[in-house]
Amino acid sequence: MTSVAPAATERPGRPARTDWKLTPRTGLSVMRAEVRKGLLSQLAHPVGHIIMLVISTVLYLGMQYVMGQGTLRRELIPETLVAISGYWFLHYGSLVMVADLVEEKRGGTYSQSHMSPAPPWVFMLGRLVTASLMGLMVAVVATLVPMLVTGVTIPLKAAALVPYALVVVNVLAFTFVLAAIAVSSPMVGALHSLFTSLVILLNGSMMPLALYPDWLAVVARFLPTTLGVEATTKVLFDGKSLGDIWSDGTLPWLLAYTFALVLFGGWLFSRNHRRAVRDGRLGQY
Amino acid sequence: MSTQTQAPAGSDRPGAVTATPAIEISGLTKTYGSSDTPSVNNISLSVPAGTVFGFLGPNGAGKTTTIKILAGLLAATSGKTLLNGYDVTRRRSATMQQFGAVLEGSRNVYWTLSAWQNLLYFGRLKGMRGADARDRAEELLKGLDLWERRDEKVGGYSRGMQQKVAVAAALIADPPIVLLDEPTIGLDVEATRTVMEWIRTMARDRGKTVLLTTHQMNVVEELCDRVAVIRKGEVVADLPTDQLLAQFRERDKYEVRVEGNLPELSLPSGFTARSVEGTTIISGRVSDPQQVYTLVDRLRDQHAVVQSLSQVQPDLEDVFMGLIKAPAHD
Repeated sequence: MTSVAPAATERPGRPARTDWKLTPRTGLSVMRAEVRKGLLSQLAHPVGHIIMLVISTVLYLGMQYVMGQGTLRRELIPETLVAISGYWFLHYGSLVMVADLVEEKRGGTYSQSHMSPAPPWVFMLGRLVTASLMGLMVAVVATLVPMLVTGVTIPLKAAALVPYALVVVNVLAFTFVLAAIAVSSPMVGALHSLFTSLVILLNGSMMPLALYPDWLAVVARFLPTTLGVEATTKVLFDGKSLGDIWSDGTLPWLLAYTFALVLFGGWLFSRNHRRAVRDGRLGQY
Repeated sequence: MSTQTQAPAGSDRPGAVTATPAIEISGLTKTYGSSDTPSVNNISLSVPAGTVFGFLGPNGAGKTTTIKILAGLLAATSGKTLLNGYDVTRRRSATMQQFGAVLEGSRNVYWTLSAWQNLLYFGRLKGMRGADARDRAEELLKGLDLWERRDEKVGGYSRGMQQKVAVAAALIADPPIVLLDEPTIGLDVEATRTVMEWIRTMARDRGKTVLLTTHQMNVVEELCDRVAVIRKGEVVADLPTDQLLAQFRERDKYEVRVEGNLPELSLPSGFTARSVEGTTIISGRVSDPQQVYTLVDRLRDQHAVVQSLSQVQPDLEDVFMGLIKAPAHD
């Protein structure tokens, strides 16, 4: 072993600095480190992501082919593409988030990351950004490839950005809910499978929500992304304005749902984190 | 058995410049869930700055629970824990800047990242600026002979190298307190020696306070200034290492080593013999030192060649076993 260089601290043995305060700058610095670490970890094993990109495009086209009884029904593709983009964003983002958390809790690095002066929710947000970037990558490919294959385009309307932004917030909040569950239970994988299966069945990825029986459409609207996809498609394809989807109740419901999901995610994480610290399950299940 | 403690004296190490203990635990109790038995039961410890403090106990005694509470990873049921005077529960942010930790049985660092990436990540997480983290990471990796392999993934390192990276990650922000829970577990002799040298360097040259748990008594005996032994959640001894050993020195127990396997030797009462690799070891307790001379005379009469005669000196393992096997007090 070689010798250690002189101490970096001026006063060895003295208490360390205690001036770290949570500010936008310091919080962003911690989040940036978390995002960078997360992306480096994810890209260390690219094959899994490549396979997911292939699956995402093949699955959608195959699904539409089966639904169209052997043909791709071009009139249904634009609306279902909006829904499938939301689905993949949700599915893969939350999968990355949850799988990482479970693996890190079992490995021990989750505990290590808590020994930071930054509050836990700051690096959880960093993890959420990483997961979202991975989800976004798959969602973009899963949307663009079928557009290129079928020659179908989605009309761009600025007003649609509002409900679609709420789809994104919806997805992030739902991912945070699953992450909060992962803090206390490794069984979150089963919940992830259950909810994402329901989402792909009912959010309009297979066929537009208007084609579902009324009672099923009501059930579907309780799932993340469904209300947002419905609002977005109304603006994009039915010629509705933001005022129209406000007055028909779609946008208020979407806002309320998203707000509730954000609150629930924050509350659940706070509760599960506190319990994990109380029960000694921060670094294990 | 009563707890054997003595108020810790201030260390004469370079770092012992402050009257505030580096680690102070008072009345700490932790009971998990609905269990009736506390894992840690009303323990109090005070560790002066610059001390290497050995925290020993059998598996399940409460060592890791205590360390997790100190590290803010586990909430205590009652009691107070201070690091450099900062309350772990009330001043979380300040406390987290006081220590680095290597936890038992966990990876501690990311195997999919390189050593360099790991250190920069943990540096930023500890609130360091990028340039400071890079300088410090370079210093640590060079000091641990990892600089040439800094860009390789930690998962490809040997167990010893991975543990070095974990130690480096704990030291990235140059904290005054280092918590090491079984840092040498699973390491080969060379890697254990490297980690031990590091612990020694941290304390002696850099004035850091080290709280160390290990089952390797030679490590404790060699490094620790002070030792606390915990059993079933209670501290049963807390003394400077030399005082602990002295207290358990058995002044009335003698050992005589005789050349050859001589199981048929006729011995005075109170002595027993056993053969170990060509040597006969005779031991026994004496109430009168004259009995030792009688033994030697008897051996001479039997033409036995005496190799050595000594008063039995316990090592830390003997002391540890004595403490954890003693009947618990009510």
